[in-house]
Amino acid sequence: MVPFGSAPVRGPEPSQGRGQSRQLRSPWPLLVFPFFFTEVTRLSIKIVGAQGQGVNSVGEMCAKGLKRSGYCVFGYREYMSLIKGGHSSYQLDVSIDPVHSSTMKVDLVVTFNHHGIEKNLRDLKKGGILLHQTPQWKFRNDEDKRYVEEQGIHVIEMPTEAILKKLKAKPILGNVLITSVVWALLGQEQEQLHELVREQFGHKTDLLDLNFACISEGFAVRKDIAANFSLPLPKPDPAWKNHLLLTGSQAMGLGVIHAGCRLFAGYPMTPSSPLLSFIADGQNETKMVVKQAEDEITAAQMMVGAMHMGTRAATTTSGGGFDLMTETLSFTGVAEIPAVFILAQRPGPGTGLPTWTAQGDLQLAVGSGHGEFPRLVMAASDASDSFELMPEAFNYAEEFQIPVIVLTDKQTAEALFTQSPFDQTSAKLKRGKLVRDPKALAQLSSTDRYDPAAPDGISQRWLPGSAAATYCAQGYEHASDGSFNEEPDNARQQMDKRLKKVEALKSALPEPLYTGPKNPETLIVSWGSNRGVILDVLESDQFKKRSIGYLHYQYLWPLKTESFEMLSRTAKQTVFVECNHGGQFASLLKLASGRDNTRKILKFDGRPFFYEEMRDRLLSTLQ
Amino acid sequence: MHDYASPNPCTWCDGCGDYGIWTAAKRALVELKIDPSQVLLCFDVGCHGNMSDKLLGYRIHGLHGRVIPLAAGAALANSAIPVIAFGGDGASFSEGVGHLVHAVRSNYRMTFIMHNNANYGLTTGQASALTWQDQKMNTSPNGIPEATLNSMDFVFSLQPTFVARGWSGDIAQMTKILTAAIRHRGFAYVDMLQACPTYNKFATHEWLLEHCYDAASEGHDPKDFEKARALAANTNERVATGILYQTEDAPAFHERLKSREGVTTAPVEEVKIVDTAQWLKAFE
Repeated sequence: MVPFGSAPVRGPEPSQGRGQSRQLRSPWPLLVFPFFFTEVTRLSIKIVGAQGQGVNSVGEMCAKGLKRSGYCVFGYREYMSLIKGGHSSYQLDVSIDPVHSSTMKVDLVVTFNHHGIEKNLRDLKKGGILLHQTPQWKFRNDEDKRYVEEQGIHVIEMPTEAILKKLKAKPILGNVLITSVVWALLGQEQEQLHELVREQFGHKTDLLDLNFACISEGFAVRKDIAANFSLPLPKPDPAWKNHLLLTGSQAMGLGVIHAGCRLFAGYPMTPSSPLLSFIADGQNETKMVVKQAEDEITAAQMMVGAMHMGTRAATTTSGGGFDLMTETLSFTGVAEIPAVFILAQRPGPGTGLPTWTAQGDLQLAVGSGHGEFPRLVMAASDASDSFELMPEAFNYAEEFQIPVIVLTDKQTAEALFTQSPFDQTSAKLKRGKLVRDPKALAQLSSTDRYDPAAPDGISQRWLPGSAAATYCAQGYEHASDGSFNEEPDNARQQMDKRLKKVEALKSALPEPLYTGPKNPETLIVSWGSNRGVILDVLESDQFKKRSIGYLHYQYLWPLKTESFEMLSRTAKQTVFVECNHGGQFASLLKLASGRDNTRKILKFDGRPFFYEEMRDRLLSTLQ
Repeated sequence: MHDYASPNPCTWCDGCGDYGIWTAAKRALVELKIDPSQVLLCFDVGCHGNMSDKLLGYRIHGLHGRVIPLAAGAALANSAIPVIAFGGDGASFSEGVGHLVHAVRSNYRMTFIMHNNANYGLTTGQASALTWQDQKMNTSPNGIPEATLNSMDFVFSLQPTFVARGWSGDIAQMTKILTAAIRHRGFAYVDMLQACPTYNKFATHEWLLEHCYDAASEGHDPKDFEKARALAANTNERVATGILYQTEDAPAFHERLKSREGVTTAPVEEVKIVDTAQWLKAFE
């Protein structure tokens, strides 16, 4: 498998903080949740330029500074499948209220090159600011000129080159200069920026001084040529200060570590690579065995071998790589070996759109691998999920001795979230019917391993090296000790044994998350990264007086349908929101519940739902 | 030997080389005093894979062509348990050849026994990459057009740390090879030439008997990489067997991991919920 799409991903990326408005799991049928509606006042900044110019550095510095000043920040990155050049962007949506989405129109565009002036001009709201550094820039076409005039866009040219020349500073310092102009426009203090660069360059005094000089110049620029402009932020809320600012991949990496995973194998492929990199970068501290394998099949096989031996292991990949892993998935199904696959979705088919987002691999996750076997498919929607679901994934894999596929997508993986510090105490280690006690081991016989009479089809499991009777973890259909057996009665019994786990698993899974009134007129159903933008929109004025409920699925297969059936039965309409062409989840839920789901808001252009877009499409669906 | 005895009767053809390899594997484990509960035997899919329930010990029988990474993952999880992988020439030099390449260069601590009958036996005698050129095989009625892969030259090109060759008619020598292979520090590659009376009509038991000789008896020094490579690759007139090359100087993969320096436990012993608070500071 060739690693398509390489993203120069370093440091914090876009994310979405659940903030104080964390949804709670409904202890069904008590699903009444109060709505606290306040119009979110938000400000959006978009930094654009060629890849490699410093778009990410400026975005990250601003994000970190704003979060530390007491704002909730949601960051969203767009980039192309190349290393240098192209056109990339880093958007920050900032508020004192929780913000989990990006708007299409922004208050400020900062562009590194002249392409961005033209390309991103129309991203600006009325009265927005365009900050650029192209000397003597003149708009070439009348439409652009008219737009600037009609929309009252303020165009500010920064004398970046001249300032850097004066300071004898390298072009890279331009990033700090640009950041400081933005900082000044946002009405923030110089000292906060000093603190950020001190963290980065504190050990290099001369570099630090140069950075400070750039910051002073940046503030001077604002005073000299942009004195009349500002982007006022509301008074900060100190509660955000102790939050984390991290990407979904980083959160998931921490979740993997938290879950007790001790071997991680992968093969680079966007958008799963940032997770592999994060875990690899941390290996000297976590002492985890990390292996960049020769291909996805190897990564999957190593994970399974390590799981069988008795540690916790996982692998990560994206669509095409997952295709290669599916034979291994099927093997874990018949041999009943716990397995954890993390599938970071991007648009297919084929190489598709390597650096963009999609939810088009749900049915792949549900249906991949030959033959029939039980599995669990779950999906993370933000940083919080990415962390919290990982111990669950390993627990279900071990308790039910099944493969677990954790879906994420480029949006969740690479967005930057403002996140409350993760709870380190809730997760429990659950290893199911793993026998470790010497006395119990001594009692075992080989036929206990795949005993078809085991309750719920979950038989005892014990590890190579245990002082016990041995067995074969068998990829062929087998008798209860793993010996070959092709008899029809045995085949039936073993198939029944394995698939019996589905019902037990279904009962063990939690109900989906519900937010909204008890009997909503409109029920929105979705999964994955759409949650953030749906919640943001529902908290706006246009929706707060309406009777709308949102049912969010984290566990996608097997499907719990009780909440859905109860809510959708009384709702006048049910609307599905998905980033794919076919409404894959709606189809699965129809299959599981028998209820036809026709209303769908779908998107499949590689971009996530933006705030205004979700608002407008929801409004038109409701009318 | 009794400890490894399975009640399941063998299903190989009369005269199959797998009987000899099966016997030698059990003998080597017994000679090394490895209890069946203290070993993991991993099987690829092929005739040899039918061994998976013909002996005891912890066993795992995975997918065709994939036994090496499966075994490597297991070995990395617990280096205290010897891991032995069995595969055929069909899987190892076609579908799974990439795994072989990287296992040799990674030097995982495991033994790989390559059942080499120069064809795909279980799927009824198709040509493998090691089948002699021009041989008529199932799906190759005109004889195979491809050149035969020189598997030994190929393996030596990867800088292996242990290479041996045995043949299915010499159980004593195979046992000797396997005891050394299982004790080896890193990845031990063992080519077991085996008779396939049903489908291999060219390198028969008689042919092997006639051509194989113990290289040690002629004074071969397994420390000499270049001589070992030449000896192993050249099978035109005679086939050298025994431990052809071994070095214990190269650390195994898990020993090379800087992240694991000073760690005395194995990953299987480290599974617990880990408090990640110490790593959250970077995101504040």
